[in-house]
Amino acid sequence: MFLLFALITIIGALAMSQQKNVIVAGLCMVLTFLGVAGLFLMLSNPVAAALQVIVYSGAIMVLVLFTIMLLNSHEEEPAIQSRPIQRWVGALLIAVFGAFAFRIVMGSKALVDINTLADANTAVRPMEAMNLAKVGEEIFRHYLLGFEIVGLLLLAAMVGAVALTKKEL
Amino acid sequence: MVSMNAVLLISFLLWSVGVAGVLIRRNALVILMCVELMLNAANLNFIAFARMSGTVHGQAFALLVMGFAAAEVAVGLALVVALYRKKGNIQVDEINLLKG
Repeated sequence: MFLLFALITIIGALAMSQQKNVIVAGLCMVLTFLGVAGLFLMLSNPVAAALQVIVYSGAIMVLVLFTIMLLNSHEEEPAIQSRPIQRWVGALLIAVFGAFAFRIVMGSKALVDINTLADANTAVRPMEAMNLAKVGEEIFRHYLLGFEIVGLLLLAAMVGAVALTKKEL
Repeated sequence: MVSMNAVLLISFLLWSVGVAGVLIRRNALVILMCVELMLNAANLNFIAFARMSGTVHGQAFALLVMGFAAAEVAVGLALVVALYRKKGNIQVDEINLLKG
């Protein structure tokens, strides 16, 4: 199950970043978001999965798809000039850095500590921490300032978006 | 029981695909979508660590990140629409108004 959702996520992301047609890219992105929601479920966190589906696959994707339809510019134009040397050097650098990052992350001592801690914690407290009541309590007790800032940020973003899209600016 | 290594690896791959998309693509809309992909990878890490540590802190952070992502995409799309009005297309390599 976990592997299936992981594959959906990664394949959707790759298809999105390679797709020339923007509408198809947007739909691949919905697939990716649903895969991530499935991963949240696999991490026994239904609250985050529900929020992911509502916020990302619902609200954000509707916004993006509306803008795609509005702009009427569906195909990506080819580059002004092709740069083959840069392309191959870039691929080589990605391979080298990716291998190093993989080795550093997977061989770090912190990861071993996390894994032992995780085994201990999941044995003692299976999943009762991950319900909505606990999250609400946490947000309104410890992260109240962050919550208020996000609210203010959303208001500012809304006003800014309206101001930016006005005809006479 | 999901292993932490697998989740971290998937999150890393998702983030890498997002970065590659931002660097490679020329369509401003696709670049915005790739930024969302990166935020999603961060969220996946937050949720994984919340699960593994048995506390709610990571989940609260993930919630705040989702709000942040919504604000970011709203402003980003507004900028793209304004750009389209100004230039007639949204290819980022043709946006060189500030180039001297």
